[in-house]
Amino acid sequence: MLKYVLKRLIWMIPIVLGVAILVFIMMTFCPGRPEEIILGPSATETELAAKRLELGLDDPIVLRLGRYMSDVFIHFDLGKSWLTNVDIISSIKERLPRTLMLTVATLLISVGIGIPLGVIAAIKQNKWQDSVCMVLALVGVAIPNFWLALLLVLQFSVKLNWLPALGIGTGLAGIKFYILPAISGSTGGLASCARQTRSAMLDVIRADYITTARSKGVPERDVIMKHALKNSLIPIITVMGTMFGHFLGGAMIIETIFAIPGMGTYIIEAVNSRDYPIVQGGSIFLAITFSFCMLIVDLLYAMVDPRIKAQYASGRKKRKVKANA
Amino acid sequence: MPKTTYAKKQSGFATVMKQMSKNKAAMLGLLILSTEIILAILAPYIIPYDYSYMDMANMFAKPSASHLFGCDDMGRDIFSRVLYGARYSISIGIIAVSIGSAIGCTIGAISGFFGGQVDNIIMRLLDIIQAIPGMLLMIVISAVLGPGYFNTIIALSIGSISGMARMLRAQMLKERENEYIEAAQSINCSKFRIITSHLLPNCISPMIVSATMGVAQTITIAAGLSFIGLGVQPPIPEWGAMLSAARQFIRQAPHLVYFPGLAIAVTVLALNLLGDGLRDALDPKLKN
Repeated sequence: MLKYVLKRLIWMIPIVLGVAILVFIMMTFCPGRPEEIILGPSATETELAAKRLELGLDDPIVLRLGRYMSDVFIHFDLGKSWLTNVDIISSIKERLPRTLMLTVATLLISVGIGIPLGVIAAIKQNKWQDSVCMVLALVGVAIPNFWLALLLVLQFSVKLNWLPALGIGTGLAGIKFYILPAISGSTGGLASCARQTRSAMLDVIRADYITTARSKGVPERDVIMKHALKNSLIPIITVMGTMFGHFLGGAMIIETIFAIPGMGTYIIEAVNSRDYPIVQGGSIFLAITFSFCMLIVDLLYAMVDPRIKAQYASGRKKRKVKANA
Repeated sequence: MPKTTYAKKQSGFATVMKQMSKNKAAMLGLLILSTEIILAILAPYIIPYDYSYMDMANMFAKPSASHLFGCDDMGRDIFSRVLYGARYSISIGIIAVSIGSAIGCTIGAISGFFGGQVDNIIMRLLDIIQAIPGMLLMIVISAVLGPGYFNTIIALSIGSISGMARMLRAQMLKERENEYIEAAQSINCSKFRIITSHLLPNCISPMIVSATMGVAQTITIAAGLSFIGLGVQPPIPEWGAMLSAARQFIRQAPHLVYFPGLAIAVTVLALNLLGDGLRDALDPKLKN
């Protein structure tokens, strides 16, 4: 198991290097001259040229890429913002927890409501409860989360004045600032979680061991919770992995709407002001976060399914883990 | 000699449509979608006002008989704008997914059929792209290309390549093991012929389904990009761009926010219903 985790961690290195190179190259092709945005419209040609020289923008791209990569991966320095001169790593340290908090809250809402909805739909298959759950799921997929965010702000902040519409708070009172953003980001994931749970449960619920459990007098509650749900968790966890990526990306727009100073607002502002080091550094950090989460998801598989755990433990190479094996 | 009667040969399309016609939800999706597309095509002839016509007297007018959805901050008729916006929003989704699928399928087919080093290199490159959360990738690509209708289409096409490639590859790997491929190889079919006339037709069903769902997703992402100012720019009445402009007037004129969002939601809902129906019709195994 440990060997597997180590292997995965080592494999993340080329991926992160690749992401860094990819984003760096893409940013150099961005239209617009960053020095003009930094110095403003009143700057003279000489000032612009001096700034270009200072930022090293006149050097060939290979040289700049080499310099950037050595800064990031040897000195662990993402540089400073061109615009504000603030150290990027310290900004990320401050902002990443907010984005993670939002993403995890979104995930908890999706899973916490999605799985029960799916279980109800599966138990009451083809009855009205099933239809209600599945219609809810369809609507959840269809609603764009930035639109839902606006509607929630309109209802709960503007009309009812229950929850704050913008910004973040500190301490326990800070939680209420995340309620609307997390709800508006969660609908798509909630819906796919419900649908996945339903179909996984339906696959399992007709299996022989469920009949056996029922016939030996196990209470229906335990049959569903311990026997059926636990065995249908693997496909649900797969969905959770991809969902996390969606949420991390989706958080960027949600943060903009609710003015949460997280990674999303940081990167989008930097994109608009051509602050390349922030976009590059931010992307690297989000890619690392994402890869870590995928690793955790894979480890979760092993936790719920002893068959997969046995595969890792035996250390057999190249044996593909089949979700429904 | 007994006369043999053959069943009338039905095209694949006709079979699928026959299967789908039994599915009420899918038919509803198809109906909504085709109505929307027809309205979008006819939009210039049927909209009551020009979508960019400003009428300051009707600034923030509430929905009424003369302005079904009301008017925006410049007195422009929202109904006309939403209807005209369908041309942009829906076409972005369809074109971007078509381009993305074409490129993605080519890459996936090459990777899945040839295997070995080619497959390895392609898959590792896709690993890198997939390590970047989707929305972030779109934002960076849009920043590189700059805003605008065509650039948004290109950005979204690039973004949808890796998912499509992976999916087709997985299908190919499964399908490649079948006997009929061995048979084709043994009669000396060229690799190109095996891929195009034997493998692809057998892998196409799940691709069609995921492309349909992909259009829905792409429409939402496109609207999201426009919403944060990186996609289609105002005054073009793309739904996301309209929402973005409406956002600052949410207190005084909430109706500005309702209709463009509702349009996105209804379109995405219709596409999802259709996608579900197609999946059931094309591959009964997946039905539960």
